[in-house]
Formats: sequence, structure tokens, C-alpha cells
Amino acid sequence: MLVLLWRILTQILRRFGWGLLLVPVAALGIALFGLSVWTVAAVILAAVVAVQWPGAAARALPVTMVGAGVSGLVVAGRISGSPVSWVVKSIAAPFAFRKPGAPMPPGAIGPTRWFAYAPSGGGFQVLLSPKAVQNFNQAAMNAKIAAVKAGAVTKRVFLPKPGGGPKQVIASPKGAVAQSVLPKGPMPGAGRAFTAMPRFAVGPPPGALAKLHAAGAAVRPPWAVRGEMFPPAGLWHGRLLVPVALLLLTLGLWLTPRSLAGLRGRGATLAPEVRRWLVENRWGVLLVPVTLIGLTIFGLHPWTIAAVVAAVVVLARWPRIAADLVPVTLAVFAVRGFELAANWQSMAANFQGPGFGGPSVEYAAVLVHSPSTALLAGAQASAFLAFGAWLVPRTIGTHARSTFTPGTDPELVGRVQRLTETRTHAVDAATSELRRIERDLHDGAQARLVALGMNLRAVERVLPTNPQAALALVAEARESSVRALSELRDLIRGIYPPVLADRGLGHAVRALALDTPLPTELDIDLPGRLSAPVESACYFAIAEALANAVKHSGARRVQIRIRHADNILRIEVADDGVGGADPTQGTGLQGVERRLGTFDGILAVSSPPGGPTMVVMEVPCELSSPKTYSS
Amino acid sequence: MRVVVAEDLFLLRDGLTRLLTAHDFEIAAAVDNAPGLLSALLEQRPDVAIVDVRLPPTFADDGLQAALTARREVPGLPVVLLSQYVEQLYARELLADQAGAVGYLLKDRVFNDDQFVDAIRTVAGGGTVMDPEVVTKLLGRRSKDEPVSRLSGREREVLALMAEGRSNVAIAQRLFITEKAVSKHTTSIFTKLDLAASEDDNRRVLAVLAYLNA
Repeated sequence: MLVLLWRILTQILRRFGWGLLLVPVAALGIALFGLSVWTVAAVILAAVVAVQWPGAAARALPVTMVGAGVSGLVVAGRISGSPVSWVVKSIAAPFAFRKPGAPMPPGAIGPTRWFAYAPSGGGFQVLLSPKAVQNFNQAAMNAKIAAVKAGAVTKRVFLPKPGGGPKQVIASPKGAVAQSVLPKGPMPGAGRAFTAMPRFAVGPPPGALAKLHAAGAAVRPPWAVRGEMFPPAGLWHGRLLVPVALLLLTLGLWLTPRSLAGLRGRGATLAPEVRRWLVENRWGVLLVPVTLIGLTIFGLHPWTIAAVVAAVVVLARWPRIAADLVPVTLAVFAVRGFELAANWQSMAANFQGPGFGGPSVEYAAVLVHSPSTALLAGAQASAFLAFGAWLVPRTIGTHARSTFTPGTDPELVGRVQRLTETRTHAVDAATSELRRIERDLHDGAQARLVALGMNLRAVERVLPTNPQAALALVAEARESSVRALSELRDLIRGIYPPVLADRGLGHAVRALALDTPLPTELDIDLPGRLSAPVESACYFAIAEALANAVKHSGARRVQIRIRHADNILRIEVADDGVGGADPTQGTGLQGVERRLGTFDGILAVSSPPGGPTMVVMEVPCELSSPKTYSS
Repeated sequence: MRVVVAEDLFLLRDGLTRLLTAHDFEIAAAVDNAPGLLSALLEQRPDVAIVDVRLPPTFADDGLQAALTARREVPGLPVVLLSQYVEQLYARELLADQAGAVGYLLKDRVFNDDQFVDAIRTVAGGGTVMDPEVVTKLLGRRSKDEPVSRLSGREREVLALMAEGRSNVAIAQRLFITEKAVSKHTTSIFTKLDLAASEDDNRRVLAVLAYLNA
């Protein structure tokens, strides 16, 4: 039976490849996050991808495994009692709304924000937004006065709708906090995060909080998202979650380099881009962590979250503005910090932070509830201000300087320098080209026409007396005109080859290959024409590379590859010769580099001694008038 | 013999018409653009057409394209292409259909009217005529080639003239040797290049060109 199953399994794997394993990995999501539209959709998506694009599925498998492992560990971190959670908690403690295990003060009237997790009940989150507090207080005043008066603990649970906001109010049974907050039986929406408020009339019964913490009441880290799912209770999170997550993570990490080997080529060109971007925009990148710190200063509100999102958008679109915003944001933090230091008591009363023996306000790493913590907040504010001030000349200052005194922005200066250089090259090249044409016409066709005229004059003179001699002179004149034409032809070919003018780069290179004495393999895919100057520059660049291969390399064959993608024309000329070509020696390739430089094109030569030689040229340009041609 | 002439420069068109009339050709049509040429070729069905490669409307290789199109419609329609320059690429396209009855000449060849008219008559008779410049390039490309390098100097001369489309008689006249000597050279060339010998001049030219073009 087992053997049969194994055979079927290997057959299926052979048919669809390893990508099919994506389906069971996705199915783990159901076990981890519960049965929901999303998790089922993920499994279906995995199945479709595995069947339709097995290659892509196989590549995605390791990454998915790593993702599953990490999410497993994150969930484990949320679960009280698992070893991972203790690590997470100790890291998260400074950011927490409430220190773990801190006693709930008796008689603390008003909303308390905290997080509870009950493994036996499926787990839920208790979190109050100021709006919810107001709503609840109203409701409690109107409906549950009796319960409060009786000294019982009243709990209200707001089941969040997808759109947010309270949907249903459930009055808990009377009794201890532990009982009411952590209901024993199944409860509507168990396993979801709730917004709720425990309200104490006379303080919780002794021992209730202890029970609560024992059951897993934990701090709520600032990055916890409202409305998320928690794993159902059972074997999963209790025993298997951490080992399985670690196994998936290890396997995934081990497999990732293999599956990404194909993408490495693209990644290799991307990595320096990303590094350059980070170096150029390093101060702008700071905006995102700074706005995240803002969450711990102003609390989790729609507008603070919007600020984080805006920071990401600004960073992506206008990195310079992002850099300029960093000191401004830091200054705002500092103002808030100084205000707190001076005025913490009244602000804390309004803010209604977590119970800490009295009202309190959080400010980044400290919870302000006493004169000493207020001073600490002031110190923190000074640090923010100092850092902001240090950044000003590096961000706003630089940008203002470059705006008001153009010519100091290093990027612009570099560009101007490059343009000046390439323009000089272009003008020089055009001038020397005109000189060459002038000289060729002067010494060639023009001289021949002069000779022709003189011949004809001589014919005029000798015709009446010596027709025989006149005939010879006429033959000579005809010969002279043939030579003049031939020289003009060569000249025209050097200025702008006729096939290039007729049919564009692809055909012109084919014609060039036909005139080359070496066997030349062509792989050209150009679905359109390039602009005439680019076409001409590229044609002569290829002609130069080809001539070098014929003259110096001793190659037996040459390969020319031309592709156009992402508005970049890429030309490769490779030969199997002796190599050792040095583009800095000799003027040919330097001339090509200069000519391509006019179009922001680049030339790279790889030619190790012993060969092979590969000349790569890239020119940014657009294709026009789609005509299909490939050879 | 009825001829269609396609040339956009008036002076040249006029000159060609005169030259051909003087040699007893009948001008069926003289056009100055590619669409006009195509319709003239398909309607008049001339014995031979003389076509400039570069013609309006785009002044690219419109004449060549029109000639190729007409030859697809009417296989073996005799066409002589004239151009200021010769390109192996275009020669290849003309020879690709292996039907013969094509010529590809530099405009300079008009200067030697006897040879030019001979070439036109050869093409009209189903023969193939290539400009010496094309043949020089073809031979240059194959010069490093084993079999071609085994040919003697005289044999190479004969090969070049054969590729241009000349008959044994013409080759003999040109090289000042007897016809018998020419046929001896041709036999030797065909053996060295491992080509199937043929008595038919036209097939012989096509075989040589196909070999050089490979």
C-alpha cells in the first residue's frame, strides 16, 4: 500500500515537478491561520500555478517555504508559553502598551488597553481605541449600570466588522475577570481579535489578574494588526508549530539559492542599482523608521498609520523630499517631548494611557507617569532634536544650495561634464568626418573630373587632325569617369551605407557579414527601425568590432547578437580568437566608445589573453515603425 | 524585344530609352516609381525589365522589392537591376528563387553599351548576369576556402567570368584563349569544386553562383 502511494506520488511529482509541493505548503496556511477565504484561495492559487507554470511554482517553492516558516514563528511568538514568545516579548517590551505581568491597579476607572490571549478559547485580542472607549462608556452608562453597581465585572466585546467599528455588544456573565474575559465555552468569533473594554467598578477580584496572566495575557506589540486571525487551539501551536516552522524555514533557506540561480543574472544587475539608490537616498530612507517611531509617540491612529504609508510613498516617488522631511518630523517629535516634560500631568489625564498607578502617556521608549519619566521623555526629545539639527545641513541644506545655486549638485555637475565631453567628441568626430569627405572628394572625384575635362578639351583639339588619337583619349575619359564613380561609391559607403539607409540596422549587419571573410553567425531580433543617427553609430561600431576580429584575433568564427529590450539596444560581437584586445590601445574602439557616448551608450570589452573576445555595446534608444525582421 | 524601364532620374531614364531604342529594343513602358513599375510589369509582361534599385516612393530598395514581387507573380520574369552600388545581400535575394533570368549591374556598366546590351539579351534569354564587383566580393569571401584556393590563377579568372554570366565564347574572347581551352578550364573547376558539370550555360552560372553564395 505504502509502496503504491509512493509510486503514485513520484509519478505525480515527475509529471508536474517539485512545484507541486507548493500546494501542501500552502495548505499549511489553513492549519496555521484557520479556514478562511484567503487561506483557501492561497491553496487554489498554488494548485493553479503548480499545474499551469510548473517552472515558476518550483522557483516559488523555497521562497514560500521560508515565508511559511517565518509566519509560523511569528504566530508562535504570539502564543503565550511557547519558547519563541518569550524572546519576542522581551524584545517588544519597550514598545509595549503595558509591561507584561504588571498588576492592574484596583479602582482604575476608564478604559484600559491591553492584549489578552487565551489558548483554550481560541484566543482573542483586547484592544481599545479612544473612539471605542467613548462608545462603550455610553453603552455601559445606558445599559449596564446595574452590573457595575453590583460590583461585578462587566465585559463588552465589540466584534469588528470587515469595515471596522462595533457590531455587536455582548454582556458577559457576572464573575471574575478571568472568567469573563476568557470565556470557557465557544464564543461567536472566537479566534479573532476584538476590541473590548474591561471596566472595573471597585477593582478586580483578587487573583483574577494572576489567572488572566497565567492564561496568557500578554502585551500587545505595536505592530500587531487589528482583526487578524489567531491559530485555533490544539496540537498545532502547542507542540508542532515551532518545529514544523523551523523545518520549513531551514529547508526553504537551503533550497532558495538553487531556485534563484536563474534569477541571479537579473539580480546581479539589480543589486548595484539598489545599493546606489540606498547610498543616494540614505537620509530619505530614514523617514520610514522615523514615522514608525511616531506610532509610539502619538499612538496608533488612522492618521499616524497614514503618515507611515505616506512616508513610504514619498520615499519611493520623491526621495529628496523624504530626506527633507526627516528633520522636520524629528522636530515635531521633540516639541511633543518637551511639552510632555513640562506638562505631563494634564496631558496624561487627557490621554488615558494604560493604568500605571495613575494616568500616563507614552513617548517612544518611555511611559510618562512620573516626574522622572517626564524628564526621560525630555531627554529623548533633546536627542531627537539634536539628530534633526545634525541632519539639516545634510538634507535641506544641500538641496536648498543646489536649488538656489545651480551647478553645485554633484549629480548635475557630473551630467553636465559628461554631456560637454560627449558633445565635444561628437563635434570633433563630425568635423574630422567632414574633413575626410572634403579631402576624398578633392583628391578623388574632383581630380578625375578635372582630368576628364582636360581629356575632352584635347579630343576637341585633335579630332579634326587625328581621329585615331581622339578615340584613345575618349576611351581614357570614359575610364576616368568609371573610376570617379567607383570612388564616389566607396565614399558614400563610408558616410552612410546604402543597405542601412534602405533597410535599417538588421539588414545592414547581414550585408556586412556577407562581406566579411570570416563565417559570421547572426542572431538579430529588431522588430522596428532605430533613429538614423543611432543606427549609423551602431553600424560603424559593429563594423569596427568585426574588422578587429578579422584583422587581429585570428578567430575562426564570429557571432553577432542584437537585441532590443526595455528601450536598450544591446549588441554583442564575440569571436573565438586569441583575445588580449585592449580598448585603451589603438583608436578604433575608443572612437566607437566616443561615438556611442553621444547617445549615452556604453562599450565593454572582455578579452582575456587566450580569448575569447566579447565586445558588448548598450545604447538607450527607442524602436519606431514596427516592421518584423529577424534573421 | 519589349522592355520596361524604371528609373526615377529623368536624364538617366531618357538616356536608357535612347540607348535601347538605338539597339532595336521596343520601350513598352518607362516609369519613375515602384508602384508604376509593378503594374507595368504585370500588365505589359515585357521580355525584359530594367529597374533601378532605389525608386520612389520611399527611395529605399523599392525597385528591388517591386521586381521581386513581380517575379513571385510571374516566375522567371526577366529583370535587370541597376544600381549605384552592388550588395551581396540583394544579389542573394535575386538569385534565391533559382529561376535565372536575372541581372544585377552597376549603373556604370551602361557606359559600355555593347556589353550592357549583351547582358540584357542574356537575361531576356533566361540567363544570369552578375556585376564583376559582386563576383569579386563573392570570390573574396571564399578565398580562404579550401577548394577555391586550389584553383589556378587562370581557373579563377574563368570562374569569375562564368559567375558574371558569360558564355564560353565570351570568356575565350575576353582571355584571348581558344574555346577549347575554356571548356578544359571549366571541367577542371567543376571537378575541383565538386560541382555537377552541365552543358547548359544558364544552369552552369546558377550552380557557380549558388556555390559561391553558400
